[in-house]
Amino acid sequence: MSQAELLLSESGPGPRRAAGFALLGERLWRPASALLLPLAGAIGWEAGAEQGLIDAHLLPPPSQLLATFAALLAKGEAVQHIAATGQRVALGFFFGMAAGTVLGATTGYFDLARRLLDPSVQALRSVPPLAWVPLFILWFGIFETSKVMLIAVGVFFPVYLNLAGAMHGVDRKLVEVGRVHGLSHARIIRRVLLPAALPGYLIGLRSGLGLGWMFVVAAEFMGASEGLGFLLVDGQMMGRPTTILVAIVLFAVIGKSTDFAVAIVSARLLRWQDAFKPSGSA
Amino acid sequence: MLELDLVAKRFANGHLAVAAASLVVRESELVAIVGGSGCGKSTLLRLIAGLERPSAGQVRLAGRPIEGPSPEIGIVFQEPRLMPWLSVADNVRFGLAARPRIEADKAVREVLRRVGLEDFAKAWPRELSGGMAQRVAIARALVTRPKALLLDEPFSALDAFTRLDLQDHLIALWNHDRPTMVLVTHDIDEAIALGDRVLVMGGRPGRIYRELSIAAPRPRDRTAPAFVQAKRAILDDLRLARRPAAEPADGYAI
Repeated sequence: MSQAELLLSESGPGPRRAAGFALLGERLWRPASALLLPLAGAIGWEAGAEQGLIDAHLLPPPSQLLATFAALLAKGEAVQHIAATGQRVALGFFFGMAAGTVLGATTGYFDLARRLLDPSVQALRSVPPLAWVPLFILWFGIFETSKVMLIAVGVFFPVYLNLAGAMHGVDRKLVEVGRVHGLSHARIIRRVLLPAALPGYLIGLRSGLGLGWMFVVAAEFMGASEGLGFLLVDGQMMGRPTTILVAIVLFAVIGKSTDFAVAIVSARLLRWQDAFKPSGSA
Repeated sequence: MLELDLVAKRFANGHLAVAAASLVVRESELVAIVGGSGCGKSTLLRLIAGLERPSAGQVRLAGRPIEGPSPEIGIVFQEPRLMPWLSVADNVRFGLAARPRIEADKAVREVLRRVGLEDFAKAWPRELSGGMAQRVAIARALVTRPKALLLDEPFSALDAFTRLDLQDHLIALWNHDRPTMVLVTHDIDEAIALGDRVLVMGGRPGRIYRELSIAAPRPRDRTAPAFVQAKRAILDDLRLARRPAAEPADGYAI
């Protein structure tokens, strides 16, 4: 054992445990730092309302929002509304993602498919998604199907565009390595093109999910008896800004959470990337 | 034996990249091809690899015409071309997809040991230096034990020290299996140091201008008079070969 190793082993587990705590602190501090701004805002808002600087009737302070949310929770309504909206987003996201993936991979790989399909898809993309609402209501009625369809339309385009674009951006030289090793078209798609296109595809999924949360509100404005969008409409009708704000905060928290989940999965899948890391990051 | 029989390649845009090239590379022979940029030497290599189909003539390996890429021919490009999402070991395994897992694992370990990267099996390509990445690319080409190994300016992107190191390493690897080897390079020293024969290519259209046999045993002293003399001859040839469609001269030997 060398001199240096002896010195280290003599100092025992103490420093190592301290290092472990430092690491744990680091792990907790990173996500916690994101909460600083909202917390400071909430405290300022509460204090402003207390001092009479903010009109609590129009902009109820956080304490009232918490009370309203607690009441909704107690009646079981909060879970009901969140579940209704969550289910719509999940279904719409699934169908939009499936269609965007299949079509994006097709036009991304086959030139003929691209020339035939892509211009029409692009033309449909320039239709404002809300323009579909009247048609969907006529076709599918005012219930779940038309809502899920609208969300799916919103999710479809970013997934489609990002996947097809990422596949076009794949390095020809890597595809050639697949050819050199005698891989079939299907194998080249699976073993070279899809992994290489994964970063772009995941960005598509992430922005698709974001749009899914946008569109669920539009869908629930079409007429719904439950859901966070319904809470917004209900709050307006009944003149309860507290209800509206609770729904808005819930959108922010849940939307951010799902985005965070996708971001974590993405980081895990893309840990091979040789990407820029902002200064000061671990 | 690798044979090129009056091989020509004209691209769709009308450009004649290679005109009537004939060449016989004996089994286990190491042939180096030098030429200026745009002389068609890479196209010639891609024709042998089956990545391009000849417009005329035929390429044969062991008597069988080459119709497309085959596991009997390995190729190393100028860039390592590793899949960034695969570990070093999985990149090497890329060429062995059809083999049973245990057999492939064994072959991968063995070839990584030979290129001196067994400790980096789990590393990502981004964690490798340029020279290490190129050694992985060589390992990927060798793991299928090809009859012929083609190298397209494999060391041109590396610094001088790494390049010398890898040139020695390449000879050691070649000694193991003795595949037929065709090395395209624009580094004249590299061609003379490694090749049993050096072919000088001229451009527009690409053709084999002259060939030079080198009998001296490897490793070769790069400052020996014969080495310098060969280098001077090739430099002269390259200058002459730049002139379009010059008369090819007969072969000579040192």
